[in-house]
Amino acid sequence: MSVARVGVVQFPGVNCEAESVRALGRAGLEAEIFRWTRRAAELRDFQAYLLPGGFSYQDRVRAGALAAKDPLVDVLAGEAERGKPVLGICNGAQVLVEAGLVPDSGRVELALARNRMPDRDGYYARWIYVRIEPSGSLFTRGLTPGDVLPLPVAHGEGRFTSATAGRMASLLATGQIPLRYCSAHGEVESGFPVNPNGAEQAAAAVSNARGNVLALMPHPERAQDLGALARCVAGPWDERRAQAIARRDVDARGPGLALFDALSRHLKES
Amino acid sequence: MPRGSKTIQAWVELMSDDPEAVSALAVARARLPAARDLGQLRRLRLIEVSGPLPGRRQLEELLHRSIQFYNPHKERCTLRMGVADPVPLGGSERVALVFERGGERRAAAERWWRHETGEEVEVREGVAWALRLENGAALEDLALVRGRHHGLLCNPHSQELRLAVGEVPCPWMGAVSEPKRAARKRPKSPKGDA
Repeated sequence: MSVARVGVVQFPGVNCEAESVRALGRAGLEAEIFRWTRRAAELRDFQAYLLPGGFSYQDRVRAGALAAKDPLVDVLAGEAERGKPVLGICNGAQVLVEAGLVPDSGRVELALARNRMPDRDGYYARWIYVRIEPSGSLFTRGLTPGDVLPLPVAHGEGRFTSATAGRMASLLATGQIPLRYCSAHGEVESGFPVNPNGAEQAAAAVSNARGNVLALMPHPERAQDLGALARCVAGPWDERRAQAIARRDVDARGPGLALFDALSRHLKES
Repeated sequence: MPRGSKTIQAWVELMSDDPEAVSALAVARARLPAARDLGQLRRLRLIEVSGPLPGRRQLEELLHRSIQFYNPHKERCTLRMGVADPVPLGGSERVALVFERGGERRAAAERWWRHETGEEVEVREGVAWALRLENGAALEDLALVRGRHHGLLCNPHSQELRLAVGEVPCPWMGAVSEPKRAARKRPKSPKGDA
């Protein structure tokens, strides 16, 4: 059986493509950087897509706003409609939200707004925890609801919100919020710093209804090596990190790979 | 020095071509049906300062002095004391104001002002997009994001959009409130103020 190919879509200003390719490779997938200068139609040759983090088009107008209008995203939307997986990480998530690929309708129903933090403003980078929620997302398939993953966040505009009253709550009810910010012990909290940006429903990610498109604000590709976990990370992953460092195996598999492994499982089964 | 709560506007624009406006114009024309007749697009930062404010000369000096407001080496600033003052817009331009809902206040600028003048003011900032539309193109269709091929400048789920019909209001972002005077006043009159 041939290895599934994943297109890592790089718009100008994106800067997490290399580590994304490495994470996909460690999950047993063949990843290829697909630059914005290529013909959009060539994207159809891939079985899945990843939009990495960074600052596409320098965040001009609004984070993700210009990339969302790119002809490549029209192709992505068509392929997502056919069921192919699309994962947007950080700036990639902003593109998916601005393009209306999540939560589903093709209309823009959400925003990733500026972080809202007490006595702080702007960009915020730190390790946080996310809890796996019951959902139909293929990117958390195989993970147990309640599982806690430590992941880093690094963004200025990561607050999932909607002007439509109750929209985020309805997404939670329909299983379209597969990851929520939580404490090290797995308790979901709406306040800072557990929720690092003030996202409604403590949403760290929003999926489409079909579960094949995911807009994810934390960076799993930066948590692929156990040795990369910060010393502040608590719980079982801290123990694993300490053991990996003790045996000089800092590249041992970290918590972020769980999402890439789920994608790999899905592609092998489908 | 005149006292009492009022609002002024600082319209700030890059002296060079603004890369954001250049990109927005290019993408809008290429990708949005509503932008086919978009002739020109400029971006200005609109800053509103509300509170007990000094006169024009001192205001101009305060705004000029701090990077919290603008960089005089790269940007020009037009001060508007009220609706009677002109806005730096061409006669055929229409303006769409976009600002973050609940996030338009500029705390650092307010702290700077308090430090320099001893007065409590409210500082708000948004982006004023000046557009020259031809053939009756609808400004709102171009500004308000509804989908991949509809709208660009304002995501209504986190941002406010205000369109000026005729006269540009002042204030435009927030109503004039009654900010408290600083507990510890340290008035510093810039030299040469009238």
